[in-house]
Amino acid sequence: MPGASDTRRLRALLVAALAVAGTITAQAAPLTVTVSDDSGKPLADAVVAVLVKGAHTMAAPGASAQISQKDRQFHAQITAIQTGTPVLFPNFDTVRHHVYSFSPVQKFELKLYAGTPAAPVVFDKPGVAVLGCNIHDRMNAWVVVVDTPVFAKTDAAGHATLDVPPGEHLLSSWHARLPDPMVFIDQPLKMGSAAMPVGVTLALAPPT
Amino acid sequence: MTRILQRLLDPLARRLELRIVALFLGLLLMVQLASFVAIRHSIDENARTQIATELRTGENVLRRLLSQNAQNLTEAARLLAQDFGFRSAIAGGDQLTLVDALENQAARIGASAALFTDARRRLVASTLSDPKPVLSLVQAEASGSAANLHDTPVRVLDGQPFQLVTVPVKAPQLIGHVSMGFPLSADLPRDMEDLSSLKMALIARAPGGPWKVLPIGARADELQSLATELHSASVSQNVSLAGENDSVRIVRLGGDATHEIAAALLRSIDQAVAPYRQLQLTLLVITLIGVVVFGIGSFVTARSITRPIKALSQSAERLGAGDYSTPMQVNSRDEVHELARSFESMRTGMQQREAQILRLAYWDSLTGLPNRAQFIDLLKARIERARSGGEPCSVLMLDLDRFKHVNDVLGHAFGDRLLCQIAQRLNDGVLREQDVVARLGGDEFAVCLPQADDETAGMIAQRLRRSLEQPVMLDDHAVDVSAGVGIATFPAHGGDAEVLLGRAEMAMYAAKSNQSGVMHYDSGLDSSSQESLSLLSELRQAVDHDQLRLYLQPKIALCSGLVLGAEALVRWQHPTRGLVPPMRFIPFAEQTGFIRVLTGWMIERCSARYRHLQGQGLELKFSINLSTRDLLDQDLPAKLEKMLTHGGVDPKALCLEITESAIMDDPQRALQTLQRLHGMGLRLSIDDFGTGYSSLAYLKRLPLHELKIDQSFVKAMEHDRADLKIVRSTIDLAHNLGLSVVAEGVENAQTWALLQALHCDEAQGYYMARPMPEDQFAGWVDGWASPHERLRTEFAELVV
Repeated sequence: MPGASDTRRLRALLVAALAVAGTITAQAAPLTVTVSDDSGKPLADAVVAVLVKGAHTMAAPGASAQISQKDRQFHAQITAIQTGTPVLFPNFDTVRHHVYSFSPVQKFELKLYAGTPAAPVVFDKPGVAVLGCNIHDRMNAWVVVVDTPVFAKTDAAGHATLDVPPGEHLLSSWHARLPDPMVFIDQPLKMGSAAMPVGVTLALAPPT
Repeated sequence: MTRILQRLLDPLARRLELRIVALFLGLLLMVQLASFVAIRHSIDENARTQIATELRTGENVLRRLLSQNAQNLTEAARLLAQDFGFRSAIAGGDQLTLVDALENQAARIGASAALFTDARRRLVASTLSDPKPVLSLVQAEASGSAANLHDTPVRVLDGQPFQLVTVPVKAPQLIGHVSMGFPLSADLPRDMEDLSSLKMALIARAPGGPWKVLPIGARADELQSLATELHSASVSQNVSLAGENDSVRIVRLGGDATHEIAAALLRSIDQAVAPYRQLQLTLLVITLIGVVVFGIGSFVTARSITRPIKALSQSAERLGAGDYSTPMQVNSRDEVHELARSFESMRTGMQQREAQILRLAYWDSLTGLPNRAQFIDLLKARIERARSGGEPCSVLMLDLDRFKHVNDVLGHAFGDRLLCQIAQRLNDGVLREQDVVARLGGDEFAVCLPQADDETAGMIAQRLRRSLEQPVMLDDHAVDVSAGVGIATFPAHGGDAEVLLGRAEMAMYAAKSNQSGVMHYDSGLDSSSQESLSLLSELRQAVDHDQLRLYLQPKIALCSGLVLGAEALVRWQHPTRGLVPPMRFIPFAEQTGFIRVLTGWMIERCSARYRHLQGQGLELKFSINLSTRDLLDQDLPAKLEKMLTHGGVDPKALCLEITESAIMDDPQRALQTLQRLHGMGLRLSIDDFGTGYSSLAYLKRLPLHELKIDQSFVKAMEHDRADLKIVRSTIDLAHNLGLSVVAEGVENAQTWALLQALHCDEAQGYYMARPMPEDQFAGWVDGWASPHERLRTEFAELVV
């Protein structure tokens, strides 16, 4: 569960993004994306993003994100951010963690630290990074970096709602259990001026 | 030892011993054999179970060793997979560093191969120059075409057993695999042998093909020959390697399409059984010692039983052979001793009984003389001796007169004592040294006279008779004893004891019946002899065919010299034998009863002659002898009367002469008959007076007319004064009783004169005339010139 300050920050970020979008197209309409697996079961914690032509790919300055470590777990375990967003890794546990990523999107290593490291890690390339802790093998987290401000994580019912201007776009979907979780599943999206729903079906690897 | 063996093998003497020893040893051996078999069975069972258990345990140990190897390998691979630096190197795509890390880790644990593959099992780095074979193993594992790791921790690499493990590398998601492996080395068989004392060989084959021993381990060469011994089918089997028996268990370790790899675990059966073999050997030694001890013990026991039994058996054999005199001797204190005592009492009993039986069988219990059986035996022996010596041997048989009468009147006890006295008297003095007296039964005695011919026997018989003449004094009774004696002589009268005795008996009966005292056997006496049978039929023929002749001997009145009559005698004119003397057939006729026919014939002939002479003017008396049988014939008087009436004969002209003994056979009946004859008017005469035993008191009661003095006295009176006195007294006695007296046997003038002087009434004898055929009689009477006047004066002085 994101904390209240997280929500606030996210809302501020969204407001900022919308403000930018609003500058491009005033008549954006909500797009409701429903993600399900190939058996039709809704998928939570899937990330959907719409690459809007002409929109900024890099995050606006000041944008940030945070993945905390508490109770020897990452929070949240799946975090979607826009490219260029700096991410903070505060450690709320009494033990130290050694957070690392060997993912090509962003390789980094936060060696045994406590509290919040001073410098955030900036994810400046789109893609997926897998985070682990060298101390605790069972800790892992995903950072999904997209080149668009229009993205969301599906809720428990597999729904996510995006404000998308009319036009032809690319809808990228991702889920941790994709056969290659390092790659997005893209599909074209033709958005009208009115709100519309779209269904995304993802073929998942069998649970391990 | 050889002595014992000999005794054991002597079947007759040692049969029981042998059986006892055999029984003991047999039982012992049976028990030992049974336990031996049972123990051997259980040893085999145990050994087999033990070996099987060891082999099963060995398999478990082997599997544990292999999985332990795999475990170590896995640990090493996992360690590498978790190393941050290693993962960093993977993330960094640093090929050389990766290879170094793999080599480093492989060297640490002695793995021969280490390689890293990405998440899709594509080779990233390897320590091998040619990683392809191992890589294909890794890929095959990933695709699941190989079986589970724990079941078969062994892979096949170039036909060799190879252990391989693969662990994932996560960062933190799966980024690849580390695989490590090594071929199975000599360490494994060595470890197996250390841990379980099982030998081990690694073997391989193409599926369905023969096993080959892989050259791994120190014993690989040694176990090379195992391949040919193995039968592919079974998991457990027994093989023989270099003369040693092993039990083999084949543990399949793994395989691929072309190869199958297994471990052969070997346990030496000989080694497993070795401790038991020692036990069996000990048991065998104990058995052998037991056999020897039992053998000796049972032999000694058997000896102690059989030795007294054998002694008993020998004693019993002696008893069986008739030796009752040797006592039983058994030195033993047990049941056999009891048996020996029973045998001993049996022996003495048998001895006594045999003596008694012998006594009863061969001795007369009353007189102590030999009995008939012994006498027959003796006689047989004497006859045999006589036969071989060519000398005669006689047997006398004598039977007391009137013994039945003595028994009846004076009692049997008295009779028995009398017999004892007689026996004593017969034995005393009269007989020769070699003669033997026996009592045959009742009042019958017999005497065997070796080396005695007919004549000697006759002399001895007379002596015996004389010795009996002295009356026997018993309880104030003086008993007159007399006996008839029969004599039969070997070889004239028979060659066999029984026959000889039988003939002596026959002669004895003849002697008794004709009062002659002593008789020698004659075949004529023997009515059963072939001669007698033919004699009887010939006699009948003689009557029927008119072969009999009537002879007459004149009876002369001594005082006047006149012929008064004649004694009728019979002669037999046999057609072939000529004239048969009366002694040859009269006694026989008396015995058979034929005498009655003869008597009838005589009466008829005399009647005829009487009438004939009457016709010539001669009025003569005829004297006819009556036998005992005639006298006892109830019908005699009637028959006589009929004949006399028929013949027209005056009964007074017929004189019937009867011997004393004929009357004495049955005095009562004789008296009746005589009285009836007397009643018919017949004259009656006592014949052979002086030889019998008739008492005067009895004679007095008979209706007699005449008394005939026996010729023995008459013939002897001329020389013997005693006989002369008897004749004189007899004549006086007869005259006093009113009887006329006839003297027989007058053979010379002197006798005639004496008789004349003694006032004898009539005389008969050769001096006057021999018996003559009847038809000559009339002629003789005509020519008769009496000498009485002349002789009366010549011999008058003799009679004083």
